[in-house]
Amino acid sequence: MAERNSSRRRQSNNENFMDYSLLFIVLFLLGFGMIMVYSTSSYEANLEWGDSAYYLKKQLFATILGLAAMIFVANVPYHFWERFAVIGYIVSVVLILLIIPFGHESHGAKRWLYIGPLSLQPAEVAKLCMILFLASMICTMGKQIRNRKGFWMVLMVPMPIALMLWRITQNLSSAIIVVGIAVLMLFVSCPDYKRFVLLGLAALAGAAVVVFVIVKMAENQVDTLDFRGARILAWLDPEAYASGKGFQTIQALYAIGSGGVLGKGLGQSMQKLGFLPEAQNDMIFSIICEELGLFGGFAVIIMFILLIWRFMVIANNAPDLFGALLVVGVLGHIAIQVILNIAVVTNTIPNTGISLPFISYGGSSVMFLLIEIGLVLSVARGIRLKDL
Amino acid sequence: MAQETAHLHKTYHRSKTVTVMFLCLFVFAVLMGRLVYLMVFQSEYYTMRAKELHERERSIKAARGRIIDANGKILADNRTVCTISVIHSQITDQEEVIAVLCKELGLSEEYVRKRVEKYSSIEKIKSNVDKSIGDAIRAYDLDGVKVDEDYKRYYPYDSLGSKVLGFTGGDNQGIIGLEVIYEEYLQGEAGTILTVTDAKGVEVAEEGEERVEPVEGQDLYVSLDMNIQSYATQLAMQTMETKEADSVSILVMNPQNGEILAMVNVPEFNLNDPYTLPDTVESDALSEEKKQELLNGMWRNGCINDTYEPGSTFKIITAAAGLESGAVKPTDTFNCPGYIMVEDRRIRCHKVGGHGAEDFVQGTMNSCNPVFITVGLRIGVERYYSYFKQFGLLDKTGIDLPGEAGTIMHNVENIGPVELATISFGQSFQITPIQLAVTASSIVNGGRRVTPHFGVKVADSDGSNSHVFSYPVRDNVVSPETSETMRYILEQVVAEGSGKNGAVEGYRVGGKTATSQTLPRGSGKYIASFLGFAPADNPQILAVAIINHPQGTYYGGQIAAPVVRQLFENILPYLEKMDYNRT
Repeated sequence: MAERNSSRRRQSNNENFMDYSLLFIVLFLLGFGMIMVYSTSSYEANLEWGDSAYYLKKQLFATILGLAAMIFVANVPYHFWERFAVIGYIVSVVLILLIIPFGHESHGAKRWLYIGPLSLQPAEVAKLCMILFLASMICTMGKQIRNRKGFWMVLMVPMPIALMLWRITQNLSSAIIVVGIAVLMLFVSCPDYKRFVLLGLAALAGAAVVVFVIVKMAENQVDTLDFRGARILAWLDPEAYASGKGFQTIQALYAIGSGGVLGKGLGQSMQKLGFLPEAQNDMIFSIICEELGLFGGFAVIIMFILLIWRFMVIANNAPDLFGALLVVGVLGHIAIQVILNIAVVTNTIPNTGISLPFISYGGSSVMFLLIEIGLVLSVARGIRLKDL
Repeated sequence: MAQETAHLHKTYHRSKTVTVMFLCLFVFAVLMGRLVYLMVFQSEYYTMRAKELHERERSIKAARGRIIDANGKILADNRTVCTISVIHSQITDQEEVIAVLCKELGLSEEYVRKRVEKYSSIEKIKSNVDKSIGDAIRAYDLDGVKVDEDYKRYYPYDSLGSKVLGFTGGDNQGIIGLEVIYEEYLQGEAGTILTVTDAKGVEVAEEGEERVEPVEGQDLYVSLDMNIQSYATQLAMQTMETKEADSVSILVMNPQNGEILAMVNVPEFNLNDPYTLPDTVESDALSEEKKQELLNGMWRNGCINDTYEPGSTFKIITAAAGLESGAVKPTDTFNCPGYIMVEDRRIRCHKVGGHGAEDFVQGTMNSCNPVFITVGLRIGVERYYSYFKQFGLLDKTGIDLPGEAGTIMHNVENIGPVELATISFGQSFQITPIQLAVTASSIVNGGRRVTPHFGVKVADSDGSNSHVFSYPVRDNVVSPETSETMRYILEQVVAEGSGKNGAVEGYRVGGKTATSQTLPRGSGKYIASFLGFAPADNPQILAVAIINHPQGTYYGGQIAAPVVRQLFENILPYLEKMDYNRT
């Protein structure tokens, strides 16, 4: 297969491919993200830390680290990582389990591990390792994936990780992303559609039933609803829960709605002045909309569409299935996360904590995303130009 | 072969990757649609809601219009006072702030320190601080110290005309008196400062502030004459003390146009401190309800809010009705044996021995009850009642003060000869003092029923934009001839009759005395009153003095008439000098 002499080819024929478009899009998103992190956090950072660039500096540090990691990974042939697939899976499990004794709590959830000055979210590691493990596993399975047993095996692989993320780190969104990545990779590697359509319909029906049951329970004044139940009610009518579960959503909607078509101008957001708490995190997209308007919001979405388009091009020209699956995994990760984030911010789906890739504040997230980009670049380098 | 499989494999996973891409595109399109909905169609709503959230509104009080008397003296004014507060988060030099506030406000360091160090959004240190002190503190230009200016209503003459002027409440709104009636002119329009704040309420300086300036209230010019009012108050106080009366009211008005020059109801209260009961009341032991009741009593304007049986002063009305209807002529003669039989009732004259033979003028001078009963009976119930109505006694006078009491009168179908007899000399029904004064005014001024009032005009503080009030006048209440006859008769009462204590040397004064026993009869409580006007041939001034429950002598002719005489002795020359006699 193609992998067997990729290095020799590079030596003999220097026409290997470097996807500058992808690199540019990523760098643009990082730069734009940094500006928005500063814009959204400077006021609160100044009040809290006496340094308006407090969050910007931390983000910049993580980004530089991430870029270094990206360059390193991009220059390592991606098949090198295949041997770590199983170890990666085990490491994910161990890291998540380490949360129980050593986890660092923040915002009411134990999600972080501290290694010296660095904080690490096991969920980010788990996403990356899941992509690697599934790509390797699907390649090994070959045609087996087409039968029912293979299909369900692939579908069951992410479940332990997802369940642990959900139950141990109280991080439902990461669990959904891990499962989503798996489903997407499975979808791409199976020839048929029927099972996926059924799966999709089943998921939709399940969600509808859950919402229906919760609404009925609320109507009957059943107070055994946990906080996720309240989140669903707040989603249906955020103004009725404005002081509780609907607070963040309402504030995000105020930000988005008051932005209008052209926005208030960069740095002019009012909602970031403490009305929308920690605007630099998950809700950053609403401040982008407030400051830069509908055009700014569209521009960000279009940048992500271009990014996904580049992933698709690379996946479809990858030298082998393993490379293609790695890229599809990364595509799935980023696409799901962007879609869920914007859907949450615009109150299209119930509120769940999920960050906007490359833009939201968060060191672990940016570092692991850049490692994933490094993987994709590495796959891209395997493409012979004449194939394009 | 391997190549073949890989290729086949690749083909479908390629198309599937493209499917994934289009799936993503579809979802993004939905989200973009959602954004368009939120940011274009819902934008107005969310912008409005966000603005509500971000803006804090502070109102700026408008200066209330002043109340100015007939001579331009200011009866109600505004004083600028300051409220000093600190905002903890904005203080930079805490020790200096504490030192300055202690020094300037004369407060203990402990008190100030506690408040300065308190972690709150805004902490009030002291309110009602003099403007000069406020300015001094402002001059230090300390961070975190706020000096807010405010207006406080101020009455330079304390208790003078308290029940007429009224006072204002915490929001500068009128509570009683003229302050209530002319509220719409006096209050002005409050301004607002809209500031943009962050979630903690800290102002966002770059956003600036939107300011809507307040509109000052208009000044109210009243007919009240501070000089007359203060002299009348002195007289009333003196009378109340010497006669040990419960209260004394003096009402001075211009019978030609209804302008009221003075309205005194002693005891008055201090307008600058309207919620303190007199020292004689043990206010600590009182319940809130009881205290409020006593306060309401203290604020009551007896001339307007209370009714009483007018007694003999009401004979003016009976006389006018009798003359007007032709039931009696001044020359008609009567005989008073000291009583008169009405049906089976024997009604006594105040002179037990009787006045003997007398004509109508003499009967009035003597204030002879049998004469007036006879006249009343001659007029008859129907006619008397219609005069009662025609004179305006059944309606309120329409004075520009709140809470005017109505007349308490029998229904016409319940009036028998006995009732008519008692009505004829002013008993068995009740009217307000202002009603008596106004009705008497219309009888002596040629038959024009005027509307009593204080408000002359309103104008902006620089005198511009003035609006002069006009008040309804009803002509032909009585004929000019009857009016002239009445002036003559009433002048005789003062010149030689029961009201001779009301005579003023050098002036022609007309008037009528009254002594009425308060209900229940036999309680030994009396109301002594006198109604006088001058000059008798062309009345320019009319005064009523009412002494409630005097001790000792209680005859109106002996104690009330001298009050009006003293008043006239002082104000008639004053009015001539002031050329006050506007007609």
